[in-house]
Amino acid sequence: MLKTITIAASLAAFIATGASAADVVVSSKIDTEGTLLGNIILLSLNAAGIKAQDRIALGTTPVLRKAITAGEIDIYAEYTGNAGFFFNKADDAAWKNNEAGYALAKKLDYDANKIVWLTPSPANNTWAIAVRNDVAGPAKLKTMSDFGKWISDGGKVKLAASSEFVNSAAALPAFQTTYNFKITPDQTIVLAGGDTAATIKAAADQTNGVNTAMVYGTDGAIEAAELTVMDDDKGVQPVYAPTPIIREAVLKANPKIEEVLAPIFKSLTADELRKLNGRIQVDGEPAKSVAESYLKDNGFLK
Amino acid sequence: MEDGYAVRRVDRLGVVLAGAGFAAAATMPFIVAKANRIAAGKPLLLTSLLAQPIALALVGLLLGTAISTIFLRRPFVRLAIATLCLIALLMTIGIVSTSATPPGSASARITPGGTFWVLLAVIGLIIADALVKLQLTPWMRVASLLIYAALLAAFLVTGSLDSLSIMKEFAIRADQFWREAGAHLFLAFGSVVVAIVMALPLGILCFWVPKLRAAVLQVLSLVQTIPSLALFGLLMLPLAYLSAHVPLAAELGIHGIGAAPALIALILYSLLPIVANTVVGLEGVDPAVRDAAAGMGLTRRQILFGIDLPLAFPVILTGIRIVLVQAIGLVTVAALIGGGGFGLFIFQGLGQTAMDLVLLGAVPTVFLAFSSAVILDAVIDTIRGRRA
Repeated sequence: MLKTITIAASLAAFIATGASAADVVVSSKIDTEGTLLGNIILLSLNAAGIKAQDRIALGTTPVLRKAITAGEIDIYAEYTGNAGFFFNKADDAAWKNNEAGYALAKKLDYDANKIVWLTPSPANNTWAIAVRNDVAGPAKLKTMSDFGKWISDGGKVKLAASSEFVNSAAALPAFQTTYNFKITPDQTIVLAGGDTAATIKAAADQTNGVNTAMVYGTDGAIEAAELTVMDDDKGVQPVYAPTPIIREAVLKANPKIEEVLAPIFKSLTADELRKLNGRIQVDGEPAKSVAESYLKDNGFLK
Repeated sequence: MEDGYAVRRVDRLGVVLAGAGFAAAATMPFIVAKANRIAAGKPLLLTSLLAQPIALALVGLLLGTAISTIFLRRPFVRLAIATLCLIALLMTIGIVSTSATPPGSASARITPGGTFWVLLAVIGLIIADALVKLQLTPWMRVASLLIYAALLAAFLVTGSLDSLSIMKEFAIRADQFWREAGAHLFLAFGSVVVAIVMALPLGILCFWVPKLRAAVLQVLSLVQTIPSLALFGLLMLPLAYLSAHVPLAAELGIHGIGAAPALIALILYSLLPIVANTVVGLEGVDPAVRDAAAGMGLTRRQILFGIDLPLAFPVILTGIRIVLVQAIGLVTVAALIGGGGFGLFIFQGLGQTAMDLVLLGAVPTVFLAFSSAVILDAVIDTIRGRRA
């Protein structure tokens, strides 16, 4: 009976989307980090007394972009490096620099769509290479420079990656040129689908001897899989810093949002995000309760 | 040897099913115990669990089911033993999972292994086969669906499966589950109802005007070939434009994302089977009947509603059945454009390599589609039966 009522109520709520026009519509991507950041934004806006509507886990990046430019959602977390693709400027060198990339994304999106990029997180969720701890530890591998030297000195590497990572000039080939190493095709296992969940699993289970995986910098499974992320010390990859982006009209109506979110996103370092993503992905905690406990533990929420 | 008189001593289907069950039990794990959602996990064979009385009882019942399906001819006996076996299977996985869970661990996950799924399928097939042999009336079939659904519900409500990974995924997002269930049902049934309202008149028109028929059916077939995600994407922009520029549209809840594009795409996919079956159904009506009715002075409208449509109804319903089952499955993709539904769990689960979360979306979808098919089949058979 209770369930019937819940279904009926949810149906009613479902049909009556956009009930109140003044609410800030908080949205997010459908992936782990997206739902985490969406919940963090939603909870902190609510706590600051700003009425917010939950459209978290809306879809993939193109869906979110279309939705915010059409004015159907007001705020969500986007990555600075993605702006290069939105505006067909992926080749610009600015994306490889934290501050320059943020500034360029902010300018392009404001000029074109009147979307404001608020304070970004210092984390970088970009393509990276992670090595099993039992290999990285003894060989003292911490940075990509270490990694390149280790391979050139005869280190036995077996990399699991997507075909995009192996083939696209900006990914593995760029790493190889800059850090001066070479991974041969028989040292590579290309996974067709190519999501990092699969490559991390391959390294964790040592499938076919894999000891190195393509990852994204803040993947939640990295720690549980006992991998170490190699620091991109020469900045080969574009920086993907998670940043809340909001429509200017909504920000003007609720100027408080900027100061509410700034300290929270500043506190979200790569280590912190990896841990939080891990709690969602590895331990199966709901994104909302992970977001809530993070905000409470750090004094952003009472 | 004349087959009709010979007493076949072994049931060939029974041999195949029992063989599959035992092969699975011998080679595949019954459960996989994982330290967390994405860890590799330790496979546990059914044979390694025999220290627990319930597992031993299950093995006994499995042997009994195998013997009864291979050698016994009476469907009722087979049905009873197989049903007992199903209950034992569910009880076993519940109890075994609980004992395999390390005490106090919130992140440990006990996932059903290959043996469980194969046994579930084998027992399901034995039960379905016995039910067919019992030659139940259509509504008895619906009643048995309800009985087995109630059996499953009893297991879920009493919490005896709560240690299982899928139920753990459910427990932490129970509210969301019912919300997505509502969205899923709304999208699937809503789109089919609208499609019926649109497709029936269109089908009748196509039947009356043969020139129109080829064109309409070709256009609808073309729509059917567009991949669902592409269609959702194509609809997003014009709908967002509509929502931004026509205030009424926005007030009605028509947006470029969410339910509106999902509903429209599902309706478009639903048109072809209903229109085509309406045309075929109407063509199947004996022209002599129609001539006789016209000769008696019935108007075109009276012939349509009094003769054509009732006679074509079972064929039209078959089209609706196809569409409903198809829509229940297709709704899963709507999660990618903010439409919600069980697809949300499937796509989040795929993104996290959390197969238990994928199952939380997939199992209810399959159950919904299966139940709808059984119920609509019963309706179709009842109408056919009355006429025969």
